[in-house]
Amino acid sequence: MNLSRREFAKIGCRIVIGATAGTAMIESIATNGIAAENSPKGDYNWKEHYWGYLIDTRKCIGCGRCANACKLENNVPFDEPVYRTWVERYRIVNKGREENVTIDSPNGGINGFTDDIPAEQIKKAFYVPKICNHCENPPCVQVCPVGATYSTEDGVVLVDYNYCIGCRYCIQGCPYGARYFNTEKGTADKCTWCYHRITKGLQPACVEACPVGARVFGDLKDPESPVNKILDKERINVLKPDLGTKPKVYYVGLDREVR
Amino acid sequence: MQPHLKRAFTLLAIAIIGFIAVRALIVPDSFGQNGWYRGDSVFELRNFPVKHAEPVSCGEEDCHKTIYSIWSSAGHKTVNCETCHGPSQEHVNNVRIMPPPANDSRDFCGLCHFKRAARPSGFPQIDPETHGENLKCAYCHNPHKPWFV
Amino acid sequence: MESLIWGYIYPNEAEIQWSILIVLYPYITGLVAGAFIASSLYHVFGKKEIKPVARFALLTALSFLLVATLPLVTHLGHPERGIEIMFTPHLTSAMSGFGYIYSFYLIVVVLEIWLSFREDIVKMALNSRGWKELLYSGLALFSYDISEKALHDDEKFAKKLAIIGIPSAAFLHGYVGFIFGGIKANPWWSTPLMPLIFLMSAIVSGIALLILLYLASMKLRKHAIDHKCLHSLAHYLWIFLILDVTLELLEVISMKYESLEEIEIINRLLSDKIATTFYGVQLGLGIFVPFVLLLLVGIMKNRETLKMIMISISSVLVVIGVFAMRWNVVIGGQEISKSLSGTLTYVPVFFSQEGVLPAIIILVIPFIILFVITRILPPWKDMEEKV
Repeated sequence: MNLSRREFAKIGCRIVIGATAGTAMIESIATNGIAAENSPKGDYNWKEHYWGYLIDTRKCIGCGRCANACKLENNVPFDEPVYRTWVERYRIVNKGREENVTIDSPNGGINGFTDDIPAEQIKKAFYVPKICNHCENPPCVQVCPVGATYSTEDGVVLVDYNYCIGCRYCIQGCPYGARYFNTEKGTADKCTWCYHRITKGLQPACVEACPVGARVFGDLKDPESPVNKILDKERINVLKPDLGTKPKVYYVGLDREVR
Repeated sequence: MQPHLKRAFTLLAIAIIGFIAVRALIVPDSFGQNGWYRGDSVFELRNFPVKHAEPVSCGEEDCHKTIYSIWSSAGHKTVNCETCHGPSQEHVNNVRIMPPPANDSRDFCGLCHFKRAARPSGFPQIDPETHGENLKCAYCHNPHKPWFV
Repeated sequence: MESLIWGYIYPNEAEIQWSILIVLYPYITGLVAGAFIASSLYHVFGKKEIKPVARFALLTALSFLLVATLPLVTHLGHPERGIEIMFTPHLTSAMSGFGYIYSFYLIVVVLEIWLSFREDIVKMALNSRGWKELLYSGLALFSYDISEKALHDDEKFAKKLAIIGIPSAAFLHGYVGFIFGGIKANPWWSTPLMPLIFLMSAIVSGIALLILLYLASMKLRKHAIDHKCLHSLAHYLWIFLILDVTLELLEVISMKYESLEEIEIINRLLSDKIATTFYGVQLGLGIFVPFVLLLLVGIMKNRETLKMIMISISSVLVVIGVFAMRWNVVIGGQEISKSLSGTLTYVPVFFSQEGVLPAIIILVIPFIILFVITRILPPWKDMEEKV
């Protein structure tokens, strides 16, 4: 009986190993064929770029044209509370020794902001545009159970709408609230830094729309890129640096109240 | 090993082999070619249609050369054509498709220029209550070449 | 809608992403893990007094295990793509292990049940005719060896299996805790204690459910209750309650004591959003009251009926309390904004894909399955001999 058990185990192992190896071989042949066919087309080579984004909060005027252009460019529904980029307003009011911070972002800032706190009560006020940070160490990619979201070689975090199962774990995993659930597609969705534009040499729609140059986009691998020019001379911060996500959206003039 | 256990494990082995075979058939071919994702999805996302053309597309042909040169040398040169006129790639591809007319309401200009506490103080802002008698801004200010009255 | 929001939440957070179905999922897997561990008290640790419910506990575990995937799949944006979690599991994700851990555990439970019922199955196959004969012969895999030696070998193998089963039950549920505990974005979830808390509350809820189902089936079958077995289960319930409450309080106390950046929003969550369900239901009704009642049961002598009533009340409270615990974790964690400066409120919908109705349906199915399975494989044989 001992012998037969051992034999059985042997045969079983052989079958499993054989089948695995066989399918793996077939797969590797198939994928290699496809890989050659699909190697980056056109003049865009993602190995030559590594994209970065910079926001100068001191320049932002809160017009919300970025959030508006983003929805138009990327077919983000206007009638749902979902945003790939939005503008926050921070107003700090003195109340005796205590500070009172009011934060808001009505409709992501798309319709602009109206003053509902008298200006004389406000000690300090400013706008902060937010967008997906395309982290170098993205928690959303880490938690995706099926590999439907990923970091590209050129440093962009993308969602595969034809593979996402819609479990929304990534939405929970993102510390910045940058992801939303696309009810039409039934998948997670987020900013792509307009991947369809930047791979054609265009700027992201939000950067294009910003009238004051508060949003800057460029190639971190190119020392002459506008982002690198500012990174070289300004003092930079990122959002929630303690979480170790290593964001690639850099901020100039970030207040401690901004999270 | 007892015969009934042998049978049970054979069933299990068949199920596992069946699973491996089905998996091999169903997993997309491009999966894993660049990382733990479907390689083709990168191309699908790159092929998403562009909607905002850049201002050069408006001025590089003869189409809107005059207004382009006025705009590009004036104070609003940082405000791109499509920020007011809307996404125009379709219009660039086919001039018969007209983008909607630019929004010339006071509120639209006010998105940038109404007085707001949170705006950088140096930025030109007006009080909509007292400024311009509720006239449309373009009545006094040329949006392509703004000046201070 | 606006009034449900306090302070500032990120604009994309207006919708609660994980609804009541995701509350149900850890609840159901918890019941599975708990019931299995209760059965292994007999199978592995040889606690003879548990024997009357050991096989019933296995069937309970299977009934709930079979529906454990339902709330998850129903909640997916693309249920048809759900199998990708097994085809291309992204191993850095805590969730990716689900398919394999679940399947492995299912195999262990099915084998365990098959081995402990095999003698009955074979006897039924040999003593019945027609479709019944076919059914039981099929279940016996057309192999009818029930000699003493064969049964003895089966038992040895079943014990080995149960030894694998305990860590995999613990893993199945502990890892559900890690799905939440590993999310650094959410201060209410992110704690290494989460897997342990989930595991302890799983065992607690599983034993409590087992007690209730045992009492109910005995009532239905008009059989005498084995008080020794009942008290033993109540005893284990009490011990695991202590472990559970220690961990749950440790989590909250250390959060409050360390008072990190997120403490203000956590305080607001505890004092406002989930105050009733946390202090009232989860800790008060779900742990404190059963703790006292079970303590009394342990001290009291005789008065079996009163003890039985107290044990039943405790078990009902524990089962409700653990549901509140899942609710407080899953929904509570989403009611605070990751901006740490606002909260929102989850309003359950009744009729929708992720509503209360599907949740109720999913929660009823395991009882139907259990009813059917106990008809096919009656787990009470041992007892009938005794009575």
